[in-house]
Amino acid sequence: MAEDLVLDTAIRDWVLIPLSVVMVLIGILRYFVSKLMLSSQLPDPKIVKEGQVIVRARNLRAAANFIPPKSFRSRRVYFSNEENGLLFVPKGQAQNPQAQMFSDPNMAMDMMKKNLSMIIPQTLTFAWVNFFFSGFVAAKIPFPLTQRFRSMLQNGIDLSTVDVSYVSSRSWYFLNLFGLRGLFSLILGEENATDDTQRMMQMSGFGFDPSKSLGAEKDGLDIVQHEWALPKFEHRAEAALKKLIK
Amino acid sequence: MVSKTEETQLNRLENQVDNGGGGAWEYLCLVRKLKVRRSEKVLKYGLSILNDPKKRSALGPEEWTLYEQVAIAAMDCQCLDVAKDCIKALQKKFPESKRVGRLNGMLLEAKGSWGEAEKAYSSLLEDNPLDQVIHKRRVAMAKAQGNISGAIESLNKYLEIFMADHEAWRELAEIYVSLQMYKQAAFCYEELILSQPTVPLYHLTYADVLYTLGGLENLQTAKKYYASTIDLTGGKNTRALFGICLCTSAVAQVSKGRNKEDKESPELHSLAATALEKDYKQRASDKLGLLTSALRSLKT
Repeated sequence: MAEDLVLDTAIRDWVLIPLSVVMVLIGILRYFVSKLMLSSQLPDPKIVKEGQVIVRARNLRAAANFIPPKSFRSRRVYFSNEENGLLFVPKGQAQNPQAQMFSDPNMAMDMMKKNLSMIIPQTLTFAWVNFFFSGFVAAKIPFPLTQRFRSMLQNGIDLSTVDVSYVSSRSWYFLNLFGLRGLFSLILGEENATDDTQRMMQMSGFGFDPSKSLGAEKDGLDIVQHEWALPKFEHRAEAALKKLIK
Repeated sequence: MVSKTEETQLNRLENQVDNGGGGAWEYLCLVRKLKVRRSEKVLKYGLSILNDPKKRSALGPEEWTLYEQVAIAAMDCQCLDVAKDCIKALQKKFPESKRVGRLNGMLLEAKGSWGEAEKAYSSLLEDNPLDQVIHKRRVAMAKAQGNISGAIESLNKYLEIFMADHEAWRELAEIYVSLQMYKQAAFCYEELILSQPTVPLYHLTYADVLYTLGGLENLQTAKKYYASTIDLTGGKNTRALFGICLCTSAVAQVSKGRNKEDKESPELHSLAATALEKDYKQRASDKLGLLTSALRSLKT
């Protein structure tokens, strides 16, 4: 039944706004805490070298047509030959990056710290919201939803006849969680520690994976067909000079 | 590479400051950003700011960057006392800093105590083996001591790790050219062209090296690269125009008797000669006679 529930404005004053304000403050607090706990991570020489190799290989692919064919071919062999090519990663050695990350104590500590700084405030805030702000309708979502969202969005409300658009404050919490990212990047500048969603995505797919990118570069390099662009330049030079002389 | 607008801006600021028009701090910031080497001016104006306590406090935290800049400029102009004072001030403020350690090493270098400087740099490298600037300073030290082969070795080792650093490739290329190891220099210039294909300077120097190496194939390739330089600079590069003329005549000499393979650009040579004559007429008309006789002797 689609009846229009009239929601008390006091809900807006005492639930929605304080919840947003609290989340913003917690975010700022986490930012400063993360700044304090920042441990300077010594770059691993192997990773630095691999990064540079990738840049060089990418340059080679991009500007391949500017150097003579012989040079290009010799460089390609240098990068992708089977024995000691820079980009060649033999199948057995392609370490599982997950194992690699956990074996490096520094990196493991860093990840733990980052995870903790993300998980603990989230859990606490969620528990607080549930404790204080449950059991009533907090807001109305402007678009209609299906019944499947009922369990997630209406957890405190035990009436099954209420329209799913009327949600409890838990959904407002989630909305803030994902929505305040934009606000934080305005206030705190880029690269702040509150970028939870990015971190969550990174957890599922382990960020910097050197062996895979090396393999990708090698494939890209193998595909490139060298078409020496320089002869064209002679014609263009002619045209340029003709124009100059006129 | 400094762009044209930045260059004009720099010159304008320089003129302004030279004629007492203020703006010293902007000038110093621009010099720092563009990494140009104007050590005397930096020293003069930097010191004038630092010695005036009002202006110094107006800088706030940038004061320390200025100390560093003035210290390096002082070392470049061999005013080692000034440099030592600046470094002392920095050390008081940042006692355990690697940057200040590096400045200390540079001061030892400037004094000429190579052994101590080498020790200072090695200890800094132990803490942080991936510090690019210190690696490069060691190469510079080897070069300054005249140990060119040592410089080449360290530079090669550096490039094995940091192979995307095009400044290092450029330095290596120039060292090779100074030692007449042209094949290796050609390799370095190819790397430079790969990383920055639209910079005409690299095409030009690559063509020079190829022309010096000689041989029909290299000469033809050199001609192509001179042509690309002309294209990239709109025909204004005199050296490239000369390069075309010289290459064409060299190719003709080498392939005397074989059929000429000039189907690609028959007119390039004459066009380049005409462009040169026009340029000389405009800018150095008294030398035009020399030019025409030189070109004529090339044609034969």
